[in-house]
Amino acid sequence: MKILKLPKEKLDFFASVVQQFGEVHAPVEQDGKYVFKRLSRWSEARLDYDRTILPPKKYTLPPKETLLQYRTGQGYLPSTEGLDKRIVLLGVHACDVYGLNLLDQVFSGRYDDPHYQTRRKNLAIIGIDCRPDGNCFCRSMRADFVDHGFDLFFYDIGDYYLTLVGTALGDDMALATGPLFEKASPEDIDEYKRRSSSKRQAFKLEVEIRDLPEIFEMEYQSGIWDELGEKCLSCGSCSMVCPTCYCYDVADDAQLGSRDGGRARSWDSCLFAAHAAVAGGENFRDSRASRIKLRYYHKHRGFVAEYGRPGCVGCGRCIAVCPVDIHISDVIAKLRGIQNAPSR
Amino acid sequence: MSSAAKKILIVDDDHDFAEAVSSYLEAQDYVVVKAHEGREGLKLAKMERPDLIIMDIVMNERTEGFFTVQELRRTAELKAVPIFVMSSLYSKITDFGVPPDSGWLAHDEFFSKPVDMPALVEKIRQRIGGGEAKA
Repeated sequence: MKILKLPKEKLDFFASVVQQFGEVHAPVEQDGKYVFKRLSRWSEARLDYDRTILPPKKYTLPPKETLLQYRTGQGYLPSTEGLDKRIVLLGVHACDVYGLNLLDQVFSGRYDDPHYQTRRKNLAIIGIDCRPDGNCFCRSMRADFVDHGFDLFFYDIGDYYLTLVGTALGDDMALATGPLFEKASPEDIDEYKRRSSSKRQAFKLEVEIRDLPEIFEMEYQSGIWDELGEKCLSCGSCSMVCPTCYCYDVADDAQLGSRDGGRARSWDSCLFAAHAAVAGGENFRDSRASRIKLRYYHKHRGFVAEYGRPGCVGCGRCIAVCPVDIHISDVIAKLRGIQNAPSR
Repeated sequence: MSSAAKKILIVDDDHDFAEAVSSYLEAQDYVVVKAHEGREGLKLAKMERPDLIIMDIVMNERTEGFFTVQELRRTAELKAVPIFVMSSLYSKITDFGVPPDSGWLAHDEFFSKPVDMPALVEKIRQRIGGGEAKA
């Protein structure tokens, strides 16, 4: 992998020049929190952010999108609005890149999703290193470092960003801004390693995950799920902000008074009461306990079986947004308590 | 001023420079409106619908003009309006080093300050016409 370095003081010029590759979006402060948003001026960018409210999945799987239109006499018409928009997303943390990599697996392969894939193809990712806060446990989830899924990745080494070039597009970006970048020296690599080690020490939250699939298997009937069901409001906030939750609903938006309309998909959550409701009135998961249990089992066991790793990337968003303070670390600790292996 | 006079928007935080260019262009029978920062420029561009925009780069922020040009290019009703960038960026911040003719800046002409005014007017005339000197 090509390694360069960019003077920090020139990052604004870099962001200006890469606009030729697409709209530049970055974390921007909004009401005391952060959102990924298109920059209208460089000073809006807040690269020292902790986490955005919504992860980058909103770019590849929008909260609501029209999949097709239907018109009288014309039948079904594909909807391609916004699919070709090229976006350069600047300032993505490693855990969120990891989340996108997982979604890439979900929406390709056996069940190709052309809408997702087109948006993903048009999304350039420029990652940036971060420091963990009290809710971050990406290191535990092995998502604190990514080796693919980004075009460029910036690591703070003082006056410079050490820059990993991840793709040919990233290389084109570096070439387009050529004079801004410099060759990295062995001293720069040493500084990166020193800071990387310091970051590892900064994690306050640790979750051991290696034996989680087995523990989940053994605790399927545990009373813990009923306790959680009593506490959980089924609001679905954790699903909405999760970088790897991808459940969606598909519904027709019929135009009143005509036979025309569109078919849209929108984010859904397995925690919603009607998520497993079917025609005839049956609901396969009508208790809150059964729904929150499913969410945990899918993240920590289902994903492992399907994709070889848990669906959680340790970004801490679900901890930050839960209105009743359900904390993934507490849940796992309780499960482990039964297994005589408390983690926290 | 003729009824068909072409309208030019100048976006430059240097009030004196904007005034000087404005006076020169008005003497050539152009109508000139002025803004002194990017967002004000965008707002005026949407309201006034100029035939051409002259844009500074280093304003409140040193990359403000770059982002404003991009915003103009992505605004449907303005994206076809010619943009002449007029900047001392390359003389003031010499280590930036990415030339504007390398295809990344969505402009139509680039002028380094100080600007040769007759040459500027000639380019404006070629692009949008107008520019008859007042008798």
